[in-house]
Amino acid sequence: MEFKLTKEQELIQKTARDFADRSIEPAIDHIMKEHAIPQEILDGMKELDLFCLPISEAYGGAGAGYQSYVLALEQIASVSPGVAIVISVNCFGLAALEMFGSEEVKKRYMPGACTGKNIMSIAMTEPEGADPRLVKTTAVREGDEYVLNGTKRFITACGYEGPLVIFARESDTGQICGFVVEKFCEGYSISEPWDKMGLPGTPMYDVYLKDVRIPVGNMLGELNQGFRILKNSIALGKIGISSIFLGTILAAYEECMKYAGERIYLGKPLTQFQYVQGDIVDIAMKYEAARWLAYRLGYLADMNEDKGNIIKDSALTKMFVTNTAVEVARSAINIHGSYGLMENYKVSRIWRDSIFGPQTEGTNALLRSVVAMDILKRSK
Amino acid sequence: MNIVVAVKQIPDLQQIRIRDRRPVLDYVPCVLGDIDKSALEAAVELKESVQGRVIVVSAGNGEIEDTVKEALAAGGDEAVLVEDDTLADADSSVVAKVLAAAIRKIDDVGVILFGEGSADNYSGRVVSAVAADLGYPQVGYAKQIEVDGPLARVTRSLEDSDEIIEVPLPAVISVVSEIKEPRIPSVTSILKARKKPKAIYRLDDLGIEIPSGKNITTISNLAPVSERKGIVVKSVDELVKILKSERRLER
Repeated sequence: MEFKLTKEQELIQKTARDFADRSIEPAIDHIMKEHAIPQEILDGMKELDLFCLPISEAYGGAGAGYQSYVLALEQIASVSPGVAIVISVNCFGLAALEMFGSEEVKKRYMPGACTGKNIMSIAMTEPEGADPRLVKTTAVREGDEYVLNGTKRFITACGYEGPLVIFARESDTGQICGFVVEKFCEGYSISEPWDKMGLPGTPMYDVYLKDVRIPVGNMLGELNQGFRILKNSIALGKIGISSIFLGTILAAYEECMKYAGERIYLGKPLTQFQYVQGDIVDIAMKYEAARWLAYRLGYLADMNEDKGNIIKDSALTKMFVTNTAVEVARSAINIHGSYGLMENYKVSRIWRDSIFGPQTEGTNALLRSVVAMDILKRSK
Repeated sequence: MNIVVAVKQIPDLQQIRIRDRRPVLDYVPCVLGDIDKSALEAAVELKESVQGRVIVVSAGNGEIEDTVKEALAAGGDEAVLVEDDTLADADSSVVAKVLAAAIRKIDDVGVILFGEGSADNYSGRVVSAVAADLGYPQVGYAKQIEVDGPLARVTRSLEDSDEIIEVPLPAVISVVSEIKEPRIPSVTSILKARKKPKAIYRLDDLGIEIPSGKNITTISNLAPVSERKGIVVKSVDELVKILKSERRLER
């Protein structure tokens, strides 16, 4: 057991942070006001290979593994979780193609998404909810094609050109399967973006599929593999989300250290007040626990070819990190007093971002029941 | 013509804690200083005009091989390293002798770049000592370098002016940080760095004599204590008046 980053991991972590500080931080106001990521930031992420960090080199990825992926996403999210989400969604989609796409699908879609020229999306949730049992989108086989119809909700990055992995019920088996659709193909349309309270820069839309025709080869895996694909995809999505909300914890921690050191109250800095010290120590303690759990999840993803094996760990990590992010954001506002409620203080933004964590990528309430079933099954 | 960049392994300054006005270096990772990275960036740009390679030279303890990956990720083509645990706290005269010997191992050297001073001690002594050892001309405070055949045209950043001089090559040139903003290495270049060629020498391989004792003993390198005067002003006019009375606004 070794709790030490390799030199390469340290450098990748630093690359992500330096890029975030140098290029994303100055654009935060623009991202907040325009609800969009400036093209220069997307171009910078392309140049640094951040769009394909954990994907193998064989299909155009950087091949840095999931441990490095967690480290990089954490640092970018500490400056802008909205920007980090675009990377995580792209890597999430790429990983699904890498694991289950046919060779033809991989060659057609992966190189463009690895360079960031195209940005992938992944669509599971529907208006009724995120539970796979609620999927109503259909994929009806007609000769050499599937015809897709349905509505997907709260889908990120679907306004960018690129492939979309969509989960739908396959007509012959009634099972949930993954299908690759090119965004903006005939029959594809999106809603106006949802007017959400945080995570600026990554608008969420509803996606409408009306008689979208795709080749049969665009189905991921085999007909009877739907559940396995789903398990793998669910596990991978939680690595990204855990890393991103770890980044918001780091941001809150850094902001509190800075503010408490600079703010003079009754003639002395806040850091000299015992109740503030207590809050800061709690944040430090929670950050340490969350980060080693998230780093471990990256390690488990690197060690397990079948990502379905880490579904329980990914759910536990995601729940812990996202719940902790909310607690830490609340403490950070507490340390800032009334200033923490003001728009021009970063902690107010961190709060609005953090509250997304427990609701995203499977609500924590849903995940508790999933993990309970897994744990209880093992104990029998 | 090859471009050599000498870099120094230093403790990560952002992770150093201070106790009793002294740095605590336990568990602090080693990194390259920012000014060395500026020198490297200048070298990478120069490389395009001279059709050579950028060779990173460094001397240090067992961690140097790992630390130099950062330079290889940021544009260095290969590394020549001298690795010996005694070099971790060697004084500048020893380091200069070792670096000069390592540079002699490299073919077709045109320009040897240094940061103006290392990011930890900033003594600036090694540059001159290396130039003297090699018998090459030395130019300091470079903020722009152009190679023109057998000459380098160097713009020096002086206190009140810039000076442009020409120097025959090979030459030792130390740069100021404004010469270039260091690049952020991409993920792929970080991963490829470990595969770039590295020549690693031990002190015994260099055929130089290292004095057993230290020539230089650092007694103290603390920042001077500055005390605030605690003058409270109520307006900018009043501030200007006080600064003028203390002759602080004349420069």
